[in-house]
Amino acid sequence: MNADSTAPNPPLRGAARPVPLFSPGRVATIASGTVTQLVRMKTFYFLLAFALVVVAVGNFNLPATPAKELSMIKKVSFGTMDLFAWLFAIVATALLIPRDQEDRTLYTILSKPVRRIEYLLGKLCGVLVVVGVSLVLMYGICATMIGARESLFVSAEIEAMTANGGYSQEEIDEQVGLIRQQGLRPELGLAVLASFLKAAVVAAVTIFLSTFASSSLFTIIVSILIFLIGHAHTMASSFWLHSSDNSLFVQMLVKVVKILIPDFQLYSFSEGIIQGEVVAYALVGQMGLVTAGYLAVFLLLSLLVFVDKEF
Amino acid sequence: MSEPAVEVKNLTKVFTLGLKKEYVVAIDNLSFEVKAGEVYGLIGPNGSGKSTTMKVVLGLMAPSKGEAKVFGLDSGDIRARNEIGFLPENPYFYKHLSGAETLRFYGKLCGMRGRELENRVTELLKLVDLEGAANRRLGGYSKGMLQRIGLAQSLVQNPRLVILDEPTAGVDPIGSRHIRDLIMRLRDEGYTVFLCSHLLEQVQEVCDRVGILFQGRMRKEGRLEELIAIEDQTTLTLEGASPELLARLHQLVASEPDARIVAEGHPRTSLEHLFIQIAERSREASK
Repeated sequence: MNADSTAPNPPLRGAARPVPLFSPGRVATIASGTVTQLVRMKTFYFLLAFALVVVAVGNFNLPATPAKELSMIKKVSFGTMDLFAWLFAIVATALLIPRDQEDRTLYTILSKPVRRIEYLLGKLCGVLVVVGVSLVLMYGICATMIGARESLFVSAEIEAMTANGGYSQEEIDEQVGLIRQQGLRPELGLAVLASFLKAAVVAAVTIFLSTFASSSLFTIIVSILIFLIGHAHTMASSFWLHSSDNSLFVQMLVKVVKILIPDFQLYSFSEGIIQGEVVAYALVGQMGLVTAGYLAVFLLLSLLVFVDKEF
Repeated sequence: MSEPAVEVKNLTKVFTLGLKKEYVVAIDNLSFEVKAGEVYGLIGPNGSGKSTTMKVVLGLMAPSKGEAKVFGLDSGDIRARNEIGFLPENPYFYKHLSGAETLRFYGKLCGMRGRELENRVTELLKLVDLEGAANRRLGGYSKGMLQRIGLAQSLVQNPRLVILDEPTAGVDPIGSRHIRDLIMRLRDEGYTVFLCSHLLEQVQEVCDRVGILFQGRMRKEGRLEELIAIEDQTTLTLEGASPELLARLHQLVASEPDARIVAEGHPRTSLEHLFIQIAERSREASK
């Protein structure tokens, strides 16, 4: 803290400060406050649990080929990361706004020159920063484990094949290639990105729900339901549209569900990446655009409810 | 004449309850002004509409009818919030932040940065006597300390108007005295203070003018000394009056058929008494 001994100049009167239409500074202030709040709630302690899961899975000797073992480590680790990302996004977002309202902190924030969209965006960004940092840290733990296991498996495979003597260099390279395909590849970062974007969309949905929901529990349950329905989007619409009952009502219902509920299956390409498949970067770009669209729609809906909300 | 700090005109606020379309009139055609530089107290029992009035002035609620202005700006205008500092009743700021962090947080929301903000934080912590607890998290603050840090956050952007909702609620007498002193200091420094309180003695001590609200209506409003004076009695304060002069005054009064000396001294009622009297009258009238 500044302990300047000279008397400070009297600050400007509040009225002398301009109030811009939108202030990224205020959004950043609310976001950093949210990050501090979540960090001081000891959110990052779960990383220890995650590290334990990854280390345990990594050291679990399975009766499988090295490639399969690496694949399993990735599936468990990335599955845990994905679960953390969307579940944390829902719970944190559902709790933060009602808590501010209950504690009257919202009164003091909104009685300052803060626009309601700045408050909502700040809260959302704060949650997403924590989700993003957590995903990066978890990926770091996971990558360290996969990298270490991969090197171990490759050296053991080369050593075993060389000792056996019956394999050509091409055969050894092919076997090593199979292991490396399931090992640490840069594309895995895209799977982390997919989890992050999915969490961003589900957080935006939750923020929308929490602007009118009467309890956090309701918000959490409905958000999880929407998340689950969003995973069955394509399946549900194809079932309804191709079933014998394709009446106008059913078609309308499907359209309404398609519009209201985000399609979380869009992000399922990350499963292919985890299994070592190659994914087109255009698809990732498309996913980014769709995410931006979902965020814009749900933030706009949230604002429509929140802007006239009385406290 | 200077612009009023708060101008409430024909304000009505109606709440709809549930889906049954039941209506509750929380404020009924309320009009009053808070002049710049004065301490104005709005008093009334629970449910009289004090907090609703404050929320409308703060822009947290929209009026159903009428208007509320802050230094000429509509209370819904975000620029009006630059002029207002607000301390809610029993504030629960972010417990995970320290006192200094709380002030920085609110200062940044008001667009303050860098040295200006740091100087203001130091100055306010000194004003509310919390320099020693600046780096302690609010979770460890007592109620009195929370009220004081709340008062400091309300002043962070140097607003012209400070709105205090029950500023001494739940605070011990010493803490309460401290807050009262701060309010008086704010008045001396030119701030306009608009407060709600149930603690009538304290309102009496700090307010220049008061408004008594009951069932959403202003029942009485005016300068405190006028309100608490007994209208059909006169206090004559004499200096250096001899017993002979007092005796002659007694004789003179006795010669008037309708006049009598009730007491010698300062006949006064208390604000509390006045408040209860008005509340009872209003209750009877509404039956």
